Amino acid sequence: MSVFKAAYINELYKISKRKKIMAASILSILAVVGAAVIVYCLNNMVGIRATGSSEFSLLVLSVLSYTLIPLFTAFVCIDIFSGEFTEQTIRLTLTRPVSRAKVFSAKVLAAASFIMANLLFIMILSTIFSFIINGTSFNLFKIFLSYILEFFPLFVFSLVVILICNITRGTTSAFMLSVLVFILFNGLEIIFPYYKSFFFTSTFDWYRLFLGSYINYYKILRCFLILSGYSIMLFGLGYYLFDKKDM
Amino acid sequence: MDKTIVIENLTKTYKNNRGIQDIYLEVERGDIFGFLGPNGAGKTTAMKIMVGLMKPDKGDVKINGYSVLNEYEKAMKNVGCIIESVIPYPYMTAFENMKVCGRFYEEVNNSRIDECLELVGLFKYKNEKTKNFSLGMKQRLGIAMAILSNPQVLILDEPLNGLDVEGMVEMRNLILKMAREYKTTFFISSHLIHDIELTCNKVGILYNGRLLDVDSTDNILKNYSSLENYYLSEVDTNVGV
Repeated sequence: MSVFKAAYINELYKISKRKKIMAASILSILAVVGAAVIVYCLNNMVGIRATGSSEFSLLVLSVLSYTLIPLFTAFVCIDIFSGEFTEQTIRLTLTRPVSRAKVFSAKVLAAASFIMANLLFIMILSTIFSFIINGTSFNLFKIFLSYILEFFPLFVFSLVVILICNITRGTTSAFMLSVLVFILFNGLEIIFPYYKSFFFTSTFDWYRLFLGSYINYYKILRCFLILSGYSIMLFGLGYYLFDKKDM
Repeated sequence: MDKTIVIENLTKTYKNNRGIQDIYLEVERGDIFGFLGPNGAGKTTAMKIMVGLMKPDKGDVKINGYSVLNEYEKAMKNVGCIIESVIPYPYMTAFENMKVCGRFYEEVNNSRIDECLELVGLFKYKNEKTKNFSLGMKQRLGIAMAILSNPQVLILDEPLNGLDVEGMVEMRNLILKMAREYKTTFFISSHLIHDIELTCNKVGILYNGRLLDVDSTDNILKNYSSLENYYLSEVDTNVGV
């Protein structure tokens, strides 16, 4: 366990040392501030009520969960896998007394931690701006639940990117393919609406299932099982390729 | 004698049919084993398999009695290595790079990191990012990383790459001192035959993926005027076969 802990701390340390983490934070702030300014102007100057009390945070989540957050997630996953394969710095870790299973798990856990931290950061920011815009009380539990639930589909997306990183050779190809897969899955949802629920990208707004007055437990269970299935298969396949890789 | 490294029937064939074939080798505790061979002979392939960067098609490597394939963590617990050129994390300082490596060992603390950096002459650069390091400085850092945990076994692929003359002599003295005082076992590959002659007490020649011969340096120098002559003679004999 101490070896796994060391590998996990190292991965977090490496992520924190990259400049992309700062860029992600700045862009997240800018995105939330930009959205807040637009909503404030619509509410107070144009006279259109764009969002209500808790809704600003959820509006930010619904926009960023399809744009910036997957983008940052892809960047981080590509950095910790393809980046290290390309630079060959992966050898520094793999020649230590730590098994590949632990290295892979530590990297996946570090990516998951980044997603959670990013979501919580945006949640706190958007909640603060919600308060500034509306100034009224809002449902914190609803906001918190939505952001926590959004972690699951984003985690599945990170596993897709990790799998791509273990298939492709360079960082650019990994990034391009990840973007392509994301767009393709979103496109397939439109082309095959009957099979929509089988595409992981359709679950990016599954937190809405928990917010309405009527909760469809069957649909929630189905989404949960689909996401779990994706996670297990992608983790297994990603690890298989990582373990077989000659460095 | 205590067998520290045992390589058993190690085979790895690449798509271009090159690689290594049926290598069998034993290195005893405290030995400084020199792995000689021309470029493309398979030295790095064998060493990559030894440290788990590659999987063999056949065979196994045991370090301190533990299989690299099945008991990797135990096998690598007392091993330090440099494989090909040293590539540290460029966005981290020398100290941070060492820290990242040191986290895997309970006994490594900040003072041990400083001690290793001092030993390789990088202490004054410890807070500099390694992206600004020269090839020689990176190699020194790689050596510091390899000896960080006071390993019983050091597997060094071309450890003198990029080092200046002073660095080469320092490295040679460090190897001899560690083997003498701590009974550290070394497995060194190099094409610098003179350095192998001065450093190693046992030599193996790898040619076209096959291990041609293993002998002690003393024995070789009894029969040949230099290691170079022995090497050329072995290669000539076996190329003809």
